Amino acid sequence: MKLINRFILIYLLVTAVVLAAGGVISYYIIKDEVNFELRMRFMDRINRAGDLLEHSRRFARRVNDHNGYDEHGMVIRKLDHHVPPHVVSGDTMAWHEGLQRMEANVKVAAYKQINGDTYYIAAYGVLVESDDIREAVIKTLLWILGLQIVGAIGVGMVVSGRLFKPFRSTLKRIRSFKLQHSEPIRADETSVKEFDELNRFVEDMTSKAIADYRNLKEFAENASHELQTPLSIARGKLELLMETDLDPEQYQYLESTDRALSKLSKLSESLGLITKIENHEFDQSEKVNLSHLVQDSLKAFEELLALNSITVEADLKEDVEVNMPPVLADILWTNLFQNAIKHNVTDGRIKVELGEEALVISNTGKALKQPPEQLFERFRKGEQNSASIGLGLSIVKRIADQCGFKLSYQYNAPLHILSVRF
Amino acid sequence: MKILLVEDNPDLAQNILTYLEREGYICETAADYDAGFDKVMSYTYDIALIDIMIPNGNGLQLLQELRSVNPKTGSIIISARNALDDKVKGLELGADDYLTKPFHLSELHARIKAVNRRKHLDGDEIIRVNEFKLNTSTREVTVNDEPVELTPKEYDLLVYFTANKNRVLSKQTIAEHLWGDYVDQLNNVDFVYQHIKNLRKKLINAGAADYIETVYGIGYKFKASRP
Repeated sequence: MKLINRFILIYLLVTAVVLAAGGVISYYIIKDEVNFELRMRFMDRINRAGDLLEHSRRFARRVNDHNGYDEHGMVIRKLDHHVPPHVVSGDTMAWHEGLQRMEANVKVAAYKQINGDTYYIAAYGVLVESDDIREAVIKTLLWILGLQIVGAIGVGMVVSGRLFKPFRSTLKRIRSFKLQHSEPIRADETSVKEFDELNRFVEDMTSKAIADYRNLKEFAENASHELQTPLSIARGKLELLMETDLDPEQYQYLESTDRALSKLSKLSESLGLITKIENHEFDQSEKVNLSHLVQDSLKAFEELLALNSITVEADLKEDVEVNMPPVLADILWTNLFQNAIKHNVTDGRIKVELGEEALVISNTGKALKQPPEQLFERFRKGEQNSASIGLGLSIVKRIADQCGFKLSYQYNAPLHILSVRF
Repeated sequence: MKILLVEDNPDLAQNILTYLEREGYICETAADYDAGFDKVMSYTYDIALIDIMIPNGNGLQLLQELRSVNPKTGSIIISARNALDDKVKGLELGADDYLTKPFHLSELHARIKAVNRRKHLDGDEIIRVNEFKLNTSTREVTVNDEPVELTPKEYDLLVYFTANKNRVLSKQTIAEHLWGDYVDQLNNVDFVYQHIKNLRKKLINAGAADYIETVYGIGYKFKASRP
């Protein structure tokens, strides 16, 4: 439920309760006022009747009920005993001709001393029936309620657009926020305190997230840099040492030390690369022509493959384009291809199939020693002592995940089949 | 040839310095941005090797300054950062080459020679070694003026050898030079032996002396003097 709708609902609910209470109060106030007015009028009439009696004037009265009331709802009676003069007012139920039912009427009765006699003069009647008052009050209130509803919804629709504009704009900014852009959200100033609080919070939070992200990124980068420098120094020293006069044994030591250092440096580079992929540092997707990429790479490796006596069969569809960061496309293909070369056998072959939906690369090779599901984990190697660092397919997996590709492995002896579905 | 090396790590600078001085180059070093800036402004160098991460500034900035005062100076950016944007930025700013740490000194040397050829010897793109002639623009090789058919990798290998004459080059170094980063994925670098064998055969058949010497089964050496 939208916030504005909830506001309107609560507002209308409160309004309804207030109006109901207000209705009851109005009913009694109006009734009181009307009755008061009526009583005043009856008093007036009684006094006039008293005056007429005092001046011994007769006036025609037609009594039409058993209590001695005339058609104007008045009774004048001469009493035999003395009653001190006073006025009694109250309600009485009387038959209403028009409505054909008993109605609550106002009644005023006065005891008066007129020329030494005690008279009882009373009048009763009704100006507006309480039914009518109730009806009028309810009608009025329903009108007010109706107008409130129309007004609230109207105001809700018109104002909410404007009132919630800063909120929606902040929301939009949060949605389009990306850590890598290292641009914290800057929300517009609003005149609403709550929105300002929200905006400040979002700004602080995104700044912090960006700072943390940057720290992490810098750490990964610095770690790689700091590692590469000493490695570089060590390898340089080895190379200088290699220039001096050494015996074959010493050369061997130098050579294997250099190879170990080289592996170490590749390892830190690859780990850095995985971190970068996981940090989504490559997300500038564009159309990459995989056909060209694969073709160029196959051509570049022709010599190497021939030397390793590996034959390549390629079935490439022309101009297959995939939407992904170009760097990742390059790394993805390189790792897949290298994997196929590395785990191949002498006089082996590699089959590359590229279509609109998938890239499938198969290579001859020894059967896996570990379960296939471990294939894409870090540092899972077919042979522990091999020269590879065991991160190639892990990198492939990370790239596939980031680009939303499906990576699968199948073994169909003697072919290992890796397919990437776009 | 006069070379400026901007590198803050003294050990690394010393390595490069020793290696290049053995080659007979005049080499000066600067340990930070300010020193580098002073040198760039005061002297003229043939080649500048600039590390990206240096104290008090950025190597790319220094490269820009260098390009504005001395566009003729060849430049090679050195960085541990394998970040693609650094590489792209460096080359966009006019660096002639880009090398990531760690690198082989022989690789650096080969790159220096290549940059020097491009920047300063534009009229003379021929590498001459005794009876060899390598035309670096057409990638053609002749022995005693007779053309020799080489594959692209064999040509690269020969250029690499001529840049590092009389020096033991390990199979690993050669493999990395020829195939770059792909090499680490290969179980062994014995295929280098195949390359060398083919190259040797082609050169000898063309009438050249056998310059390539096998060193203890570790690597190879290109001997500059006629055997």
